[in-house]
Amino acid sequence: MALAGLLRRRVRVSRPVDAETYPKRRLTLVIAAAVLLASLPMLTTYILLVLSSFSETLVTGAEFLEGKPIRFTLRYWEALLSGRLSAIVMTPVTINVWETILNTLIVALGVSLVVTLASTLAGYAFSRMRFRFRERLMELIILLHAFPGVTLLIGVYLLYIWTLASLLHGVGGAGRAFAVFAYTILARASLEIPMSVWMMKGFFDKIPWEVEWSALIDGASRIRTWLEVMLPQVKPGIAALAIFSFLAGWEDFIYVYVFLYLGTEGKYLTLATLIDQLVGNLETAELPLAAAAGVLYLLPTIAFFALTQRLLLEAYTGGVKA
Amino acid sequence: MKMAGRNAALLFFLAPAFILIALFYLVPLAITVYVSFTDMQNWSLYTLRLLPNPLFNYARLFHMMLYDPDFVKVVYTTIVFTLVTLAFNVLGGLGLAIAVYLMEERLSGFFRGLWLLPRMTPVAVYALLWYYFFLGSRDGTLNAILMALGVIDKPVQWGTDPRLLPWSAWAIIIYVNVLVGVSFGMLIFYSALRSIPWEQVIAARVDGASTLQLVRHILIPSIRWHIMFVTVWQLLSLLTTYAHIFLLVEWGVVDRWWSSTWALYVFTTAFGLGGGGPSSTYQGLAAAAAVILALVGAGLGLLALRLLGFRRMIVPPKGEL
Repeated sequence: MALAGLLRRRVRVSRPVDAETYPKRRLTLVIAAAVLLASLPMLTTYILLVLSSFSETLVTGAEFLEGKPIRFTLRYWEALLSGRLSAIVMTPVTINVWETILNTLIVALGVSLVVTLASTLAGYAFSRMRFRFRERLMELIILLHAFPGVTLLIGVYLLYIWTLASLLHGVGGAGRAFAVFAYTILARASLEIPMSVWMMKGFFDKIPWEVEWSALIDGASRIRTWLEVMLPQVKPGIAALAIFSFLAGWEDFIYVYVFLYLGTEGKYLTLATLIDQLVGNLETAELPLAAAAGVLYLLPTIAFFALTQRLLLEAYTGGVKA
Repeated sequence: MKMAGRNAALLFFLAPAFILIALFYLVPLAITVYVSFTDMQNWSLYTLRLLPNPLFNYARLFHMMLYDPDFVKVVYTTIVFTLVTLAFNVLGGLGLAIAVYLMEERLSGFFRGLWLLPRMTPVAVYALLWYYFFLGSRDGTLNAILMALGVIDKPVQWGTDPRLLPWSAWAIIIYVNVLVGVSFGMLIFYSALRSIPWEQVIAARVDGASTLQLVRHILIPSIRWHIMFVTVWQLLSLLTTYAHIFLLVEWGVVDRWWSSTWALYVFTTAFGLGGGGPSSTYQGLAAAAAVILALVGAGLGLLALRLLGFRRMIVPPKGEL
């Protein structure tokens, strides 16, 4: 809650409400109606997903046109949360839903930690220190952000299976699990590094340098200045970055699919690969189960987003002010 | 002494990020290039040997472009998908940004939040939403609604019916992508519009400018740089996105080849399509296609850096002693 307070304590930039300068009332209504119309299919899919998860069969929206009632049930939610999926899923797999959630959480927290740490360090150097190749490295970072991830994926995965097969040949159990998760987290976090270094540099750029300067003149080292003078001033930026990268790790599909699922022959599921498996193996009639998993997966994202929307928006656009 | 301390500090700050960049960008890139010169299959390390003709995979891709009917579909799909989605993303984002800019604050906030939802939604859930929507049975939202309205009398396989291909599959992947893509343009354009001095807008209004004139002569000209930025950036990211198309293809919502973009082709060739059943994967071929994609991406990226003048944005640090 302290975090929420920190995030909300931002000055609301309001513009003067001036009847003269707004378009005419009727035009505003037309614009709003047009945007609403364009949003309708999208809005519908989200509502139907939530309704379907509480329903015996998929809610298609036609029920409302035909006046048919929706038969509500909690059985898919019960099955999902108690992990009794074997009665519903065709393949004889045991899926531990809580373990799946834990896996997803480990990946998201790991990505958040790695990204926040690495870019808080590098962002400071790029913002405040002068060194050779500084401009070249900044350009490299921007280029890397736009680099096709799928090209890297082949190399990263080859390195991964080679490591598992040679260096970790005899290692099993907890050691192997740790290596598998660490690799997934580092690989996924690296994808966020260019953007987040750029973002963090932007946050450091906004801090007036007088305070830092006086610390440096008083003989404090760069590292101490960073830790004790600068970090407290960019707290909102760090919070934004931590949330941002947490959500990136939480929502990821490709990396958890390739490294945690394919790479271990399906040993570690996360919510993303669980949904993938459910949709692939469910009878159409049982599809509300996948909807329940989807809602469960979506909830933290929505909650975080609602809590920190303003901050995230600022973080998103902060890097590209011309 | 002081110099040494400074360099140590620099190492401390930059090392973590650059170790990650070296390990997960530079090294893999070199490996991928090497793999493209081999005939690696099924991730077997034994097949990781240089081909007699190292450029064989590239020649093969070129040959496929001419004679493999499935790969021809991939090429067409990539071109159509990228250009059409780009146009919709930029223009849609611009339209949306102007619309929310002209609205009252509370309404504007609601719509901005709503349109960010697809971007925030985990990709598996997002694909699931559209899986339900375009499902080919009578449980699919689109089918059910059209049947209830009496437009069609039996369910249509929207993304796979041969009579509707390739247009329906293209329409689906483009539509699904545009809903995510417009929010990027919306965010950038909206924040740019908000930084136009309010006096300028008032002055135009006082002079009797209509809303259309305001948009054409004040708003759009002042965010020209941002329009260029968003166009280039979206082009780069459209070349590389494939995650939700992969899921839609895997779940059978859309036809495999008429929905495979170049990036998805690389992924499915290297990692398979999932969904069970033994299938061979060809890393050598995939790596060659990946290298071509990277070359195009890097070329466009460099062009973008020059075009957008990123150098000017990198202000030199002030606080150096």
